[in-house]
Amino acid sequence: MANKVAIIASNGGLFDAYKVFNIATAAAASDKEVAIFFTFEGLNLIHKQGMHDLPMPAGKEHFAEGFTKAQVPSIPQLVEMAQELGVTFIACQMTMDVMGLTKEDFVSGIEVGGAVTFLEYAKDASPTLTF
Amino acid sequence: MIRSDIQLDAKGLACPMPIVRTKKAMNDVAEGQVLEVQATDKGSTADLAAWAKTVGHQYIGTHEEGDVLYHYIRKCSQETNAAADKSFEQVISNEEITSRDGLILDVREAAEFAFGHVPGAKSIPLGELDGRLSELDKDQEIYVICRTGTRSDMAAHLLAENGFKKVYNVLPGMNNWNGELSKDF
Repeated sequence: MANKVAIIASNGGLFDAYKVFNIATAAAASDKEVAIFFTFEGLNLIHKQGMHDLPMPAGKEHFAEGFTKAQVPSIPQLVEMAQELGVTFIACQMTMDVMGLTKEDFVSGIEVGGAVTFLEYAKDASPTLTF
Repeated sequence: MIRSDIQLDAKGLACPMPIVRTKKAMNDVAEGQVLEVQATDKGSTADLAAWAKTVGHQYIGTHEEGDVLYHYIRKCSQETNAAADKSFEQVISNEEITSRDGLILDVREAAEFAFGHVPGAKSIPLGELDGRLSELDKDQEIYVICRTGTRSDMAAHLLAENGFKKVYNVLPGMNNWNGELSKDF
């Protein structure tokens, strides 16, 4: 049984963030090795400021109340929890260059790498998920 | 009220928090002990059962009371999951014990017993057996049962060492029990 889960986070909305971090923390809590490759808008999910104010999809803003009512943890809380559980965060170097971002713009403890870094990790992972 | 060794309050928390908390709480649970997870997340029943299966613990069951789900998980390590050697010589099959007159002694944890046991069986968890031998009758046949025959094997040895002669280990155990079941709730 493969004990690795590989996730690509390529979108930067609040819903995207929940999909990524819920699966990641659940997998890590199930004793799986987990790495997330953050690319393009996905980088928002671990951006120091950006992650506090991720946008809802247009027209879905009314779900904000539902999130509060269901006592869903905030994204920064999930980020912290994921790291505590040993989830590896890999930020895409190419996207960072395009957007003019440096490692300091992100939460601490991340790795920076390219496509091959992720591919190498994901080659024996199951499942590999893209959000 | 089902007995457990450690209780975790995960009420009001949404997915994946009950799982994450359970994972952390399990670190403080000793091998063979039972963790009770209190949750209100309705998805937690399926999630905890799947989680236990993935990481190798025993999901005992879930009991609903009001809005709260009480989940019971027994900590198992990889080693104990492997079929351990069963060395107690006097054995008896699941089918045979119902037609005989002796005492069915269930040595699983209280929560496992609560979620389903042979009607009329007596519950003494393995860890308590040493101190509760006086509750048993040396002249009566005793059929010791657990989930897979491993704990009952140890219990049977313990009884034999204490002068009980009419002791049988029941194989294969509750895991393969097809007969009637009693529940405590």
